[in-house]
Amino acid sequence: MKKPGALTTTFLASVTILLTACGGGNNGTNVGNTSPTQTANNTGSTTNSSGAIPIGIAFAQTSNVALLGQEQVAGAKIAEKYFNNKGGINGTPIKLVFQDTSGDEAGAINAFQTLINKDKVVGIVGPTLSQQAFSADPVAERAKVPVLAASNTANKIPEIGDYIARVSAPSSIVAPNSIKAALKQNPNIKKVAVFYAQNDSYSKSETDIFQNTVKAQGLELVTVQKFQTSDTDFQSQATNALNLKPDLIIISGLAADGGNLVRQLRELGYKGLIVGGNGLNTSNIFPVCKALCDGILIAQAYSPEHPGEINSTFRKAYTEQFKKEPPQFTAQAFAAVQVYVEALQALDKKSKVNNLALPQLRNELNKQILAGKYNTPLGEIAFTPVGEVVQKDFYVAQIKMDKDGSQGKFAFLK
Amino acid sequence: MTLTLFLQQFLNGLSIGSVYAIFALGYTLVYSILGIINLAHGAIFTLGAYFTYALMGGTFGFNGLLANATLPIKLPFAIALILGSSLAGLVGIAMERIAFQPLRRKGSDPLLTVVSSLGVAVVIVNLIQYLVGAESYTFPADAYGNLPASINFGSPENPIPIRSVQIVIFAVSVVIVAILTYFINSTKYGKAMQAIAEDATTASLLGINTDGFIVLTFFISSFLAGLAGTLVASSVSIAGPYFGIAFGLRGLAVIVLGGLGSIPGAVLGGLVIGLVEAFVPGEYSGYKDAVAFAILFVMLLVRPQGLLGRRFIQKV
Repeated sequence: MKKPGALTTTFLASVTILLTACGGGNNGTNVGNTSPTQTANNTGSTTNSSGAIPIGIAFAQTSNVALLGQEQVAGAKIAEKYFNNKGGINGTPIKLVFQDTSGDEAGAINAFQTLINKDKVVGIVGPTLSQQAFSADPVAERAKVPVLAASNTANKIPEIGDYIARVSAPSSIVAPNSIKAALKQNPNIKKVAVFYAQNDSYSKSETDIFQNTVKAQGLELVTVQKFQTSDTDFQSQATNALNLKPDLIIISGLAADGGNLVRQLRELGYKGLIVGGNGLNTSNIFPVCKALCDGILIAQAYSPEHPGEINSTFRKAYTEQFKKEPPQFTAQAFAAVQVYVEALQALDKKSKVNNLALPQLRNELNKQILAGKYNTPLGEIAFTPVGEVVQKDFYVAQIKMDKDGSQGKFAFLK
Repeated sequence: MTLTLFLQQFLNGLSIGSVYAIFALGYTLVYSILGIINLAHGAIFTLGAYFTYALMGGTFGFNGLLANATLPIKLPFAIALILGSSLAGLVGIAMERIAFQPLRRKGSDPLLTVVSSLGVAVVIVNLIQYLVGAESYTFPADAYGNLPASINFGSPENPIPIRSVQIVIFAVSVVIVAILTYFINSTKYGKAMQAIAEDATTASLLGINTDGFIVLTFFISSFLAGLAGTLVASSVSIAGPYFGIAFGLRGLAVIVLGGLGSIPGAVLGGLVIGLVEAFVPGEYSGYKDAVAFAILFVMLLVRPQGLLGRRFIQKV
């Protein structure tokens, strides 16, 4: 037999390595930013070697958050092609510089620092998760680089700093609509069970909004069950909740865990309505719960059927490439790039952006973003002085699956 | 807690615990032969699930480099499961040849082997994502024939629903444990493996092909990982390339609790962790991992050899 002393050492080292290196999800810890980021000392041309204006895109392309990040990358790429075909920034093309944030805070910080200091971008779109934004956005704020969040919906994101804004409407505005839609479908709802991913800032923030809405509607909150975004087995939580016989279940999580939870709730016999949060707002949930996804209600900040030329062009480009309707995350990523493009165009008309030193351009661009109004696939949007998006149009969609569960769609409720 | 809820959570604990057990068996086999923890075990677990999915559906899915690529065959679930797990076993052999054998020949520190296995895990996980994307994949609803979604173990008034897939997983796990126990304790090959686990040098002097049995061990271990991965995926879908990581962590807790290198210990440890997790109160249900590892640390302090492990006695 082997010596247990050495083996225990090996074992504990293994655990340590695995815990530190293999965290696919969000561990809920806050990565401190101890070293101030140096602003790029660039006083020359703001275009890169190819003559294009670089805009940073920091989305999760690896880890379990890549499910959402990949949808965002698609939206950004469609925007890049579309706006460059239309002449870019008054004749100068834009160039999107992609950096993978992975699924954690450290990955987002690294991506931001690379975009700011190495790629010398004029501004950044991202990161994918609110959890990451709370750690990475201060890096950009200190470097005085504008950041447009395309999917961060937690409270207090724009308040991170003067250079932080978002095109993704906060959960506090969007989320309550789905509970109202559920009550419209079933006025007899009285008891509500809530599930949320406790290791994800966004889910925590969203569940607070859901729970406050439940109370405000005079409903009884019978249980709050927690899980981790990396969990796959929810039977004990589902059993705990179902024994209390809820009429409505509300889930704040991400696509894989949320979809699995829905599946297990349905297989254990739950037949009532389910409301999903923004993390479930993706067609990537369809392969997880298949036919059992049917009927999930999700509030939306985007509808593929929104009228307007820009949305129909965007929708056509997406459906041609992916053979399905564009999801909200893709539309929001497109809108974020569009805001940069139109702000740069407006700035270029005042004073040629190629002639501005990079720090000055970043500063002027930030002011211009907040000053403008933009007609995007999301509808008309603008920003408050603090950087919060002002958006008029919100929707609620209900997932409709084919009988065999192979195909699904978000059917928008009237 | 009502009796109904207690019974339901007990059955939940047994079903998830049986998966932990079958997963930990692979860990413990490699450990007992080589004295190392193979951190790539979770990645092989994931890989096995993907293999079975591809063999059953005749497709690699719709994402990544292999998007829309098809196979000329579509196999029934049971056959795909055996074949997919066997492919996982072959990957295990390749991993042993590439990442473990060279270090073993050089007499490297076991920690280097652990790091090497972690490297293999990271490569496999990222390769999976590159080839088939980060999206989830779900086995067809009819993978287990026409089984109902759940079976009621209670009365119509006091239902105790248990998902059918969990019952299947538990039954398969029991069969696998029985077969493996018979193989290890009652066959010539199993006894040879035990001899190597006891003292590889002496076993080699007695004419046992140590290298060959290490390969066999890795095949069985990875086969079990692939099998466990498929069983779990049939219950909860293949939740992306990182699917096996959480199971890898729990598997470590299981083998320490049960006793490093002990097959019955792996089974007992898996069931104990599964049952403890099932009975974590609802308001703390997000802390199941922490509970599992708290048990692990207590066990390390109180009984380092685990529930069924053997105490090491050093002769002086």
